[in-house]
Amino acid sequence: MNCEELIRYLSDYIDRELDEELRADAQEHLATCRNCRVVLDTTQQMIFLYRRTGRRAIPAERRGRLFRRLQEAFQGSGTGTTADQAA
Amino acid sequence: MADDAAILQALRAGDASALAALFDAYADRLYRLALGLLRNPDEAEDVVQETFLKALTHLDRFEGRSRLSTWLYRVAYNASIDRLRRQGESALPSDDRETEETGAVPLPQVLVEWRTPEEILIDAEARAALDEAIQALSESLRAVFVLRDIEGLSTAETAQVLGISPGAVKVRLHRARLALRERLALLFAGPPGGQGR
Repeated sequence: MNCEELIRYLSDYIDRELDEELRADAQEHLATCRNCRVVLDTTQQMIFLYRRTGRRAIPAERRGRLFRRLQEAFQGSGTGTTADQAA
Repeated sequence: MADDAAILQALRAGDASALAALFDAYADRLYRLALGLLRNPDEAEDVVQETFLKALTHLDRFEGRSRLSTWLYRVAYNASIDRLRRQGESALPSDDRETEETGAVPLPQVLVEWRTPEEILIDAEARAALDEAIQALSESLRAVFVLRDIEGLSTAETAQVLGISPGAVKVRLHRARLALRERLALLFAGPPGGQGR
């Protein structure tokens, strides 16, 4: 496997979606190619950083407002047990 | 009330506590997807509200065959894309389509090691750079990256949410990852690359 092929398969390698033969070829290339190792390491690091920073909650005030509106809609719309709205 | 089937059953029975369970399970996830696409907190909030209201008015449609999470994400995604289209933004630029067909991706150019994640995470500028980099992606790449790498959906689930093939999800994810890595590489370079310790 050369550098171009390694980059083409990089995401499949990271996601463990390569078959055994290709995975072994990739590992063989990575063992001898510093540049591709850097690309692999920094790509994995980038994914880790987004996982750590990207899972933010809705700000509390917005969250409270949103939930109250949904509660009103749920209770007022007749969803579930209540009867159709008396028009 | 952890599982979706129990939540749905309780909602159909008019149990208000099930609404809280549904909200707690999905509100943050839907908000992050909508905010990632729309970049506007007020609009993202509206999308989350629309999505839940739609879920509540179509409770009878869920029969447990498709996952509730996938359905909710799909509603939120479509609502976000509708808004983007109304604003005149194309959800998928033509160059994306062309490259997707060939599967070609640009080769990485910046080949330097990075500072450690711990160093990057305590650096406010670096954290801002993460936000800027993801915003610089096209909507089509951003949606896939958010769903796969941040929210942790599988390729098949992401394909269902976005209404594209699993192959297209994989190509877009690969392109998104390489683009983000490239954009951040110089900023996050460790010694002797540039920023230094």
